[in-house]
Amino acid sequence: MYNTNSAMYITESALSVAPMSDWNDHQPIYLQLKDLVLRQIVRGLLPEGEAVPSVRQVAAQERINPITVSKAYQMLVDAQLLEKRRGLGMFVCSGAQELALNQERDRFITEQWPEILITIAALGLDAATLLADNSGSST
Amino acid sequence: MSLIQASGLSKSYGDTQALNGFDLNVEPGRIVGLIGPNGSGKTTALKSILGLLRLDGGTLDVLGLNPYRQRKELMTRTAYIADVGILPRWMRVDHLLDFIEGVHASFNRSVAEAALEKTDINFSKKIHVLSKGMNVQLHLAIALAIDAEILVLDEPTLGLDILYRQRFYDSVLNDYYQEDRSILITTHEVREIEHILTDVVFIHRGKTCLALTMDELAEQFCKLTVGQESEPQIRKLAPIAERKTLQGTEFVFRGADRDALAHFGEIATPNLVDLFIAVIGEQ
Repeated sequence: MYNTNSAMYITESALSVAPMSDWNDHQPIYLQLKDLVLRQIVRGLLPEGEAVPSVRQVAAQERINPITVSKAYQMLVDAQLLEKRRGLGMFVCSGAQELALNQERDRFITEQWPEILITIAALGLDAATLLADNSGSST
Repeated sequence: MSLIQASGLSKSYGDTQALNGFDLNVEPGRIVGLIGPNGSGKTTALKSILGLLRLDGGTLDVLGLNPYRQRKELMTRTAYIADVGILPRWMRVDHLLDFIEGVHASFNRSVAEAALEKTDINFSKKIHVLSKGMNVQLHLAIALAIDAEILVLDEPTLGLDILYRQRFYDSVLNDYYQEDRSILITTHEVREIEHILTDVVFIHRGKTCLALTMDELAEQFCKLTVGQESEPQIRKLAPIAERKTLQGTEFVFRGADRDALAHFGEIATPNLVDLFIAVIGEQ
């Protein structure tokens, strides 16, 4: 009952299904955590109006220090995706999903897509091949 | 105000110099990792902070007290979990709680019992029949029930399986951690605690060789991975360590200009293992 419970509430709130995420060395963890929460909001796994896990819960589950979690949550508050309700904790703002989706789209176009284009060029692929492969795998 | 301030600590056992210029500063709300190779003086440093040994030299202030001379008062305000099971093996769990309740001024029995309720520990069992993991859980439950401002953990998860380790850190972060308290922890499982830490202190041959917040670490150190062709050029820029990996050669820099290095290859922040090898290797 000791840990099974704490594992359950984290899973229910879907911040992380697996205990401890894989953090990379390229970005500070608070930014990675911010992105993780943002993606959960985009997918609707953290629904608007619902509470997100407390700083302590996330810190314990992900084994990261509470200051890091607070920093990530604060960035999401600044981005108007989360709001603090006095005495109750952090909640997903209404309209957050749309807002987060737009941010993810922007980021894909400005950051990920250019890298994908470089990879496509490096591998000598073209649009026709890629689209053909894609339709092939979906059947 | 610092909870722990140590400067120039020295201690020798016969002709072995265990501490030789050890410095440490711990502020409230910090989770400080004390990291060093075997025999580097970690346990001696922790023991001196807890007043368990008399120092040969240096100045040490813990919670405004001199730990060795004012140990009795210090004990009511600190908690310690050692790397070896030190709970009396012949005692029953409930008798141990009776005993601590009787001798310890700031022990809150109901807190310990609540923590133990969440475990599979049977109150009427003797300590020697508890598993290694349960032993640590019991010790932690007792430590949490002491209203301590400093929690000192010496290799707390040594010999525990993954599940018990997770429970241990769950409990420390959920039940103990507060903004006015600090945790000082040593472990060889550096990767396991690296993201919990707010500060890191490297100790080598009894001396502090690096003391940084994790934010400062990310500002001051970087790791560059490059292909073979740029290696000679990079070596001229005075990296403090280099290592071959599958992705290329990894160089660790201290105080370098990240943007300038980024032209040569991929930049990242070294993890504590990278940094430990680089800094200790440099000495």
